[in-house]
Amino acid sequence: MHLDDVWLRYRRGGSWVLRQVTAELSAGEIAVVLGRNGAGKSTLLQLIAGVLRPSRGRVAGRPAAVGWVPERFPADQPHTVSAYLHAMAAVRGLRAAAAGRAVDGWIERLGLGGFRDVKLPELSKGTAQKVGLAQALLVSPGLLILDEPWEGLDAATRELVPAIVLEVAAAGGRVLVSDHRGETVRLPGAARWTVADGGLAVAPAEADQHCVVEVAVSAADLPGAVARLREQGHRVLRVREEVGS
Amino acid sequence: MIALTGMRLRAFVRTGRSVAPLIAALAVLSVLYGGGRAEAGEAYGASALILFPVLAWQTKILLDVEPDVQRRLARVAAGSAGREITAGLLAAAVAGLGTIAIALALPWLVQGVKPDPGGLGGDVAAVALGFGVHLLALLPAVALGGLACRAVTRSAGNGVAVLVTGAVLAIVLGLQGSPVPWLVPPLMATARFTASGSGAATALWLTVHAFLWSGAALAVYSRLRRTRA
Repeated sequence: MHLDDVWLRYRRGGSWVLRQVTAELSAGEIAVVLGRNGAGKSTLLQLIAGVLRPSRGRVAGRPAAVGWVPERFPADQPHTVSAYLHAMAAVRGLRAAAAGRAVDGWIERLGLGGFRDVKLPELSKGTAQKVGLAQALLVSPGLLILDEPWEGLDAATRELVPAIVLEVAAAGGRVLVSDHRGETVRLPGAARWTVADGGLAVAPAEADQHCVVEVAVSAADLPGAVARLREQGHRVLRVREEVGS
Repeated sequence: MIALTGMRLRAFVRTGRSVAPLIAALAVLSVLYGGGRAEAGEAYGASALILFPVLAWQTKILLDVEPDVQRRLARVAAGSAGREITAGLLAAAVAGLGTIAIALALPWLVQGVKPDPGGLGGDVAAVALGFGVHLLALLPAVALGGLACRAVTRSAGNGVAVLVTGAVLAIVLGLQGSPVPWLVPPLMATARFTASGSGAATALWLTVHAFLWSGAALAVYSRLRRTRA
């Protein structure tokens, strides 16, 4: 999908929030959206999600299934966690059985099992944010947009976000993540989109950037695993015993 | 779209926001039928007229129940602005039909209308006519309520101003002798029609007028909502 010379302002005659924005996001690509508070990151993300319409220019090639996680989940609603997610699954066109599987799967994975029958306004900020994350993933998104997804999340779920992002990208989805707290160091290899003064500067992912992946292998298979990794051109930096094993 | 319609109706009921317009509808119907028995057709004409602002208010409340960010999430989940906008209007129409059902049944329960001398067939015809004239009020009421909702007006004060101005103009500009009756939905004309028992041609013209006005107002609403998520 691509943005062609996109301009946006909220009111006719008002000042431009975004100007001459041109960018492209290919299938499987991850981009981190950076910028100071008020620079227009959330506006850009809502424009790409289809929530806002450009005043000029166009957003083309947006995938059919878009998952958007807003910066603050709107918890002031009279539904329980389970009822809300089932309703959103139905809105996304899932039939009852498929909706049940999707909802149960994400409730389990995000640790929401104990909150199924809790009403949304009674949730803590972090738990509500998990519900916001779950609703965006009920169908496999062709475009996943995460607006400050780490806000309020517990340590376990913070670790889970990069894994989810990589899974969506591996399945051919495009991912955009905004961040002003430096959490996106957890997403090495992502392109950098910087919003400033209404414009967008795009820096592609560094091709020669290397990342460290911690992998646990069976002790019996350790020599073979190390050899295979080296054969594939990877550098094995260190071998250690798994803590707690 | 049906799923989103149901979700919005459930929120409307579960938050208790449906109670206030229901009480308002019962109050105005009580005033209407508290003074003695009337001919069913004429009574329904007056009922549709006085329920118009209540139905518009009910629509505004229903559309305002959802937090702004949830409305945007619904737009993304539904896959298009058109589906999200239509689901809201459908939910408002279904809620309005519930109020209309009460308005049609209540006068018979409190003996506010005279049974037709022709028997049950005449009464059924009167209820059918009543349903029709209430529908002619519901369509423009949903459109006016939509134009007064927070997503369009962006503030509670502006929303109330749109709602009150629209309801007052609908009555004032609909009075007999108005130079511009076509500017407003034909509520007053419909009430006069049910009182006088004019012919089918008048009924057809009132229907066309109500549909054209509602269509134009809903087109404006849809256009505004596409840029005001």
